Amino acid sequence: MTKSDDLAPIIDGCKAGSAEFFSQLVDIYKSRVYGYFYRLTGDGELSDELLSELFVKLVGKIASYKGGSFESWLFKIATNIFHDYLRGKQRRKKLYEARKNQLESEITEPKRSESGRIDKLQIQLWKLNDDTRELIMLRYYSQLSLKEISKIRREPIGTTLSKLHRGLKRLRELME
Amino acid sequence: MNGQNEENLKELFERLISTEEAESGIEDFVKAERILQQYPAPEPDEELITAIKSDIVEAIRHRREHSFRRLAYRMAPVAAVLMILAAVSVRLFEKDGGGPAIITYASIIPASVWDSENIAADDADLAVLTAEIDELEGEVLTLELGENGGNGRSAVTELEMELVEINSDFWEG
Repeated sequence: MTKSDDLAPIIDGCKAGSAEFFSQLVDIYKSRVYGYFYRLTGDGELSDELLSELFVKLVGKIASYKGGSFESWLFKIATNIFHDYLRGKQRRKKLYEARKNQLESEITEPKRSESGRIDKLQIQLWKLNDDTRELIMLRYYSQLSLKEISKIRREPIGTTLSKLHRGLKRLRELME
Repeated sequence: MNGQNEENLKELFERLISTEEAESGIEDFVKAERILQQYPAPEPDEELITAIKSDIVEAIRHRREHSFRRLAYRMAPVAAVLMILAAVSVRLFEKDGGGPAIITYASIIPASVWDSENIAADDADLAVLTAEIDELEGEVLTLELGENGGNGRSAVTELEMELVEINSDFWEG
């Protein structure tokens, strides 16, 4: 996790409207946020779109960051973007379902998709319910504490812990 | 997962679930985390990142322009109000100082004096003057009658001249 002291000058630079500092921010978080989107959608092209949307959106939103955990703030936006994508348009929702069904049918025989490889983990992740998958990915890619995650999800920390534990245990069983 | 998170997890498991399940719970966390590490998600393309950075530059430029335009829209009504106020002020100023001068004349003799039945009573200065004239008339009379024993004729002439002077001063104001 990037230390908030290291991030402070970068965020200040972004707030001042410096493209150079935004570029640094992109370099720091591109892999984690892309991984988060990729594991949630299983689609490289869609992940490209969501990643692009997130960072361009940051230009307008960075002024509203008032301190605290930047990762928490960033992944909250990433989560919102993913949710907006899911419920945004009926057409997209249908595509999502179609994609999900397609992936489920590929479970027995993993193969390369058009947009990239589908690994064993991705296939097993689709066997988890949407909420559990999202929780596991948020925990892994944001590297936030359970307290911060429960805050983002607006649920008691005990609920988050319990759901995450069940999900990870299930994933472990599926992967072994 | 770092050590601090593990410590927190143990504490959370013990507090929120049960002490007995804490150990196995943490083990599930650690092992699942290891699996996720074994299957890293693909990295975003460098081309994509370059395109994103370029989009950011464009977004910043657009935002600056938008901010300037918004500021201009905000300032326009204020500027308009100021201009209207300035125009009104100039017109008012012109009305006060720039128009044709109206010359008014003030009489040195108050109007009340002309209307008065008793001038001496209505005007203090005139009353003093009247008193002086009366006094001089008295003196003239005395001189003419030769009551003071001096050169009456020349004294009368002097007095008359003095009277004429006072009279002239009075009308000159």
